[in-house]
Amino acid sequence: MRRRTYGTAVAAVAALLATAACSSSPYSDDAGAREGSGARTIRPVDGCGKSSWTDPADLSADRVPARCEQLAPAAQRLPENRKLTIATGTLSAEYVAPLEVALDKGEFKAEGLDVTLKVLPTPDALPLLAKGDIDALWAAPEAAVMNGVKGGFDIKWVAGNFSPDPKSKSGLWVRLTRGETASQVKMAGRTLGTMIGKGSVIAYPMQKALARHGGGLDEIQYRQLGSADVLTALRNGGVDSAWLLDPIWREVDGRTGYAFLGGQPPGEPLGGMLYGRTLLHDDVDAGVALLRAYIRTVNTYFSSDYKQDAAFVTYLAGLLKIDAKILKSTPSLRMDWEIRKNTTARLQSAYRAQGAEQGDPLPESRTVDRSLYEEAVGHIP
Amino acid sequence: MTTIAPDRESVLVRRPGPEELHPARAHRRRRAMELCLAAAVPVVLVLVWQLAAARGWIDDRVYPAPSTIIADGWDRAAAGELWPDVWATLERVLAGYAIGTAAGYALGLLMGSLPLVRAALEPLLDALYVVPKLALLPIFLNMFGLREGPQIALVAATVFFFVWISTMSAVIAVPSGHRDAGRVFGASSWQMFRHVLLPASLPSVLVGARIAAGVAVLVIVASEQIAASNGLGHLIFDSRALFQNDVMFVGIVCVAVLGVLFSELVRILGRLLTPWAPRDRGRGQS
Repeated sequence: MRRRTYGTAVAAVAALLATAACSSSPYSDDAGAREGSGARTIRPVDGCGKSSWTDPADLSADRVPARCEQLAPAAQRLPENRKLTIATGTLSAEYVAPLEVALDKGEFKAEGLDVTLKVLPTPDALPLLAKGDIDALWAAPEAAVMNGVKGGFDIKWVAGNFSPDPKSKSGLWVRLTRGETASQVKMAGRTLGTMIGKGSVIAYPMQKALARHGGGLDEIQYRQLGSADVLTALRNGGVDSAWLLDPIWREVDGRTGYAFLGGQPPGEPLGGMLYGRTLLHDDVDAGVALLRAYIRTVNTYFSSDYKQDAAFVTYLAGLLKIDAKILKSTPSLRMDWEIRKNTTARLQSAYRAQGAEQGDPLPESRTVDRSLYEEAVGHIP
Repeated sequence: MTTIAPDRESVLVRRPGPEELHPARAHRRRRAMELCLAAAVPVVLVLVWQLAAARGWIDDRVYPAPSTIIADGWDRAAAGELWPDVWATLERVLAGYAIGTAAGYALGLLMGSLPLVRAALEPLLDALYVVPKLALLPIFLNMFGLREGPQIALVAATVFFFVWISTMSAVIAVPSGHRDAGRVFGASSWQMFRHVLLPASLPSVLVGARIAAGVAVLVIVASEQIAASNGLGHLIFDSRALFQNDVMFVGIVCVAVLGVLFSELVRILGRLLTPWAPRDRGRGQS
């Protein structure tokens, strides 16, 4: 009897082994990149003329971001209301403001979209986005996204978010050693404190700034620290340099002994909206409607230097739950829904230099889809 | 006087089982079965996982198949990419563990032996004991800077409390008769420690040290995600942030192996140091 039991157990294990060896995953079967949003009819949109689209190849720092008239493109209510969940890493950062304003002002509702913003870090949100449990991700094409796409996730960057004001000094700051000047700084071998880990989009501007100062992403030592600790570490010598975000850089701006080496390139958004299978393929109408609401919000409320309007700054501060003084202390972001040509190629080059991405870089066709925002503003390619 | 003969059918007869008839053979069989179970359960679970990934019951991009994890781990080990992280974690754990054990044992001995010292320090240490040790990391960062100091201090602080409590309670629990016997023989303080307190308390201390070994690995992995540029914890959280799930699982498996090996090492060391203590035969061995 006992021998029979052992025999059954051994047979079961053997069967498991055999089945495991012979099977293949259905996830990998459907994982290949599908066709884009396909042939959709694009009609001109009132209020969105020539200025509503710029050539993606234009990388000039003084490029004026695409804009429609205020309140354009007008809402086109979907036949049926649609519930959408957008994941974002935070709700209190300024770059999330267009989404929060759109929600607060009813721009999504006008499109027939019932939008919920959910705070979720990108690595946690990626599988949910790929599975369709969340519909969009307000983040950036980080190395995690590229690795996910390489692994078979159907995710694309469909709209930009912002580029910094030329007056902004959010970026790489260094503590000057005795006799050193900003133009002479050599970054090779130095430590760099950042609250953003390896594989973030800041790797790209960081790479550019380091290259100008005799360094490279593989020639510096990273120290990942909390937001409060980055400045402290830079001040007390714990790190030689630091990537300082808004508004922390104001603390060292103008002080002797510190130099700003560079930040995010002007005119080139590095983040924005990412769609998964649902809005890229299953419900493209809702995907376009979501971007239309976002673009309309930018045109209506963030068209130019929105921080000139004190009442709007107070409103934004309340919405983002941050101090109005802090919000006012930094220049307005240049909200920009467009995606520049080959930004993802440049990002991937930086990720590979950091060791955050392996293998061949993904072509832009697998990472970017501009067709949805182009349809929203009525641009016919 | 009447004698009632027992009803033959109601007599309970217990025949000797294999344990009584062939004790050595029964013990061997029992031991073999326990070993088989200890090996078979994880093997079956891994096979089920492999099957689930292969059949698509789970998304193998999020939960990579064991074969993928093993292959990736092997490649990383062969290429020498894994060992720097393993050594970094091991060094921090060993250094912190040594400091925490020594400090915990010394203070536990002192507080167990001297009631006044216990009265002075116990409330303070009790209060510190309940503070989550990871919450102390920012303080250690300020105290020791950004190098190895904060990580080692965190492991030491964690280990300290386990060893301190087990030592103090073991010393308090030494029967007064043992001490009296030492005094009757005119034992000096050192002799009292060497021949009475140490042998009586060491088994309990080593139990605390063994628990602390596991917790030390647990704490270092959590802290390496915050302020370290290498180590298994850094590997796990870094690869998670980069969505390299196979690498993340390699790190998790390494941590599990490291924890088991370290805990077993402390157990074996304990057995060698305290041959008089009841045998702790380890996992799966009754």
